[in-house]
Amino acid sequence: MRVTANTFPNSLITQLTSLTQRQNKLQNQAATGQLIRSPEDDPVAMRRILDLQAEGKQVSQYKRNIDRHQELAVASFNSIKAMKSISDRAREISISADGLKAQPELNLYAREVTELIKSAVQAANSKNRSDYLFGGTLSDRPPFVMTTDANGNVTGVTYQGNTTLSESEIASGVTLSAQNVGENASGSGPRGLIADSRSGADFFNHLISFQNNLLSGNVAAIESTDRANLGLDEENFLYHLGTSGAIQSRLEVTDSIATRRSDTLEALVSKEADADLAQTLVRLNQTQTAYQAALQSAGKILNSSLLDYIR
Amino acid sequence: MLGLFGTLSMANRSLQTQRNGTEVAGHNLANVNTPGYSRQRVAIETSLTIPSEMGPQGTGADVVQIVQLRDAFIDRLIMNETSVRGSYEARQKALQLGQSALGQQIDRQATGAEGSAAAGGIGGQHGIAEELSDLFASFQSLSTDPTSIPERQVLIIKAQSLVTQFNQVDLRLGNLRSSLNDSLTSDAEQANIALSDIASLNKQIIAAEIGTDAKANDLRDVRQKRIEDLSKLVKIDTAATANGGVDIAIDGVTLVSGPNVFDTLETYDAGGGQFLVRTLTGGATLNLAGGVMHGTIEGRDVDLATLQTSLDTLAGTLISEVNAVHAGGFGLGGTTGESFFTGTTASDIAVNSNLAGNPSMIQASGVAGAVGDNTVAVQLAQLADKKHAGLINQTFSESYGQNVASLGQALNSTNTQLTNQQIVEKMLLRQRDSVSGVSLDEEMTDLIKFQRAFEASAKLIRTVDEMLETVMSLKR
Repeated sequence: MRVTANTFPNSLITQLTSLTQRQNKLQNQAATGQLIRSPEDDPVAMRRILDLQAEGKQVSQYKRNIDRHQELAVASFNSIKAMKSISDRAREISISADGLKAQPELNLYAREVTELIKSAVQAANSKNRSDYLFGGTLSDRPPFVMTTDANGNVTGVTYQGNTTLSESEIASGVTLSAQNVGENASGSGPRGLIADSRSGADFFNHLISFQNNLLSGNVAAIESTDRANLGLDEENFLYHLGTSGAIQSRLEVTDSIATRRSDTLEALVSKEADADLAQTLVRLNQTQTAYQAALQSAGKILNSSLLDYIR
Repeated sequence: MLGLFGTLSMANRSLQTQRNGTEVAGHNLANVNTPGYSRQRVAIETSLTIPSEMGPQGTGADVVQIVQLRDAFIDRLIMNETSVRGSYEARQKALQLGQSALGQQIDRQATGAEGSAAAGGIGGQHGIAEELSDLFASFQSLSTDPTSIPERQVLIIKAQSLVTQFNQVDLRLGNLRSSLNDSLTSDAEQANIALSDIASLNKQIIAAEIGTDAKANDLRDVRQKRIEDLSKLVKIDTAATANGGVDIAIDGVTLVSGPNVFDTLETYDAGGGQFLVRTLTGGATLNLAGGVMHGTIEGRDVDLATLQTSLDTLAGTLISEVNAVHAGGFGLGGTTGESFFTGTTASDIAVNSNLAGNPSMIQASGVAGAVGDNTVAVQLAQLADKKHAGLINQTFSESYGQNVASLGQALNSTNTQLTNQQIVEKMLLRQRDSVSGVSLDEEMTDLIKFQRAFEASAKLIRTVDEMLETVMSLKR
């Protein structure tokens, strides 16, 4: 092939352009650590990365949901534990209040039970952030309303929540609720914390009856009914404590699954998107050497011509 | 026999011949870097012989023609390949601008709040993908705390970022469409100038070559350059005529015939801002098959139009799906029936201003009065995983990922095609250079050759002169 005056410069321009482009690309890869940045770099990998990152963000959100559930579960657990100790004290009193006690003593017990009821109502009306814990989805109002008589004795506690739990996702398509409803007399759905028709628990009414029996000195009724009833309530609290613990452990397991998935996704995205730094730098070096070689060799060739030898 | 005076005259013509040789070599040297220039050679032939008693006798040499070394076949190939390259380049430009308009990038070093690694270390995405994920994450957060006003405010802000992103991308794609239309019109004007130049060069070439075998070499070089300029803009068909002219046709319509421009190009709006090309006088619609103008139309009507339509479908589906779920819910104050988004496409999608003004109206609850209910919020969050028939059974994120990948694929293929095309064209140009390019070494050698021959001819004159001197001195 005939080589003319412009063959060298033209080839040199082409070669240098191509080498500069390659250097630019490799330099970008080395600086960002990424093989892929824009869709044009590798459309198929870009698609996979976008999907993986979308999933990654979803997993992060599930982890945040789990945190929120855990927060709620811990808050509920603490309130239930408080009620369980109230229940324990009430049972103690029910055992202490036997026929050997005089009425003034029973009255003192009654006073303590009244206070226990008030504490229990306070615990049952606990809030987390701005929501009442035990009112079902009617979380904007105190679930339990207490009425007292002129003497300060509790005459009734009514439930104004509902029996619906708000469940939210902890994994794709898996919903859970760390909530407890205050009462459920329907015989189906979530079990009520204070009163439940299936377990026979009705903590406030049982305590009120106990308080009234103490006031009236009806020790026989305390022994025959109240003690057994309070036993039912305690079992119900134990059931809820157990359930709450189980939910917390399930949340922890789900959280660790999500963390593992997040790590796997990180590895997958890294495989698609990250540049192998060693490889990139070696290739960058090669390209730089080629660039210098092109410049030097071309410089020599372009410098010499027949003109150097003609006088 | 020539005789001494005949020899003197032969030496004189020889001087002229060698001088012509140096002139042409000089012309070549002067044009060594002129784009489109083809090297020239003097064609030297032996002069007519004269009969003599010794038989036919030579009378020296004459320059019969200055020949241009040009390969019409390679020229034609280059013209066609230039059109193909022009088309790829324009399409690449349109797609690169489309990619910028979309603004979708992957940033592995992106940081989240307070410099923490974004999304558990997997990096950020920038663009609609990120905003889309954020919207559904906000629905999730709301589902875990349906009465929280801060969560509702975050949701509104995330939704507003998403709609702004949709609006911006749509606006940028719309502006890009107008810019491509503008560049199409400006290319048509450039093409018209080239057509008129070619006609005018045809006229000069025909006038210069009429009644002679000689070629108007330099004019032909300029015309070839203009033809290639034109073929980069739009694919043309050329036909050489016997008188030295070249006729130019686009899509079967002859625009230049010899010295006359029959018709020129203009752009027109075929409806909906779709600018196409037709002839100005004849009004014939032209189907362009190559060149920058073809690439611009392809990029605009195929790749970018597909992207814009898919974004509209994505936005439209998002609006209708979210609204369908949201409308059935209840706000904290018991309001119901409000839509979450307004609008129907990427251009007019917006967050319902009632909700934006009062986030408590976001209808997260599925039961009137039960503010702690999150049924609707959960359903909204679960839309992220739902495969939608309108999006070819893909989720929102997958559908958007598909759009990005399609655009990337189109750009990636165009990049590859353009690189291949550039290689083909470079090879052809190198071949043409090997035929038509000026070699300094050759020209310098020619210079020496002609200089020596010139010196020899001068020597001949001096020799004849001395001989004449001798003859003159015979009689004193």
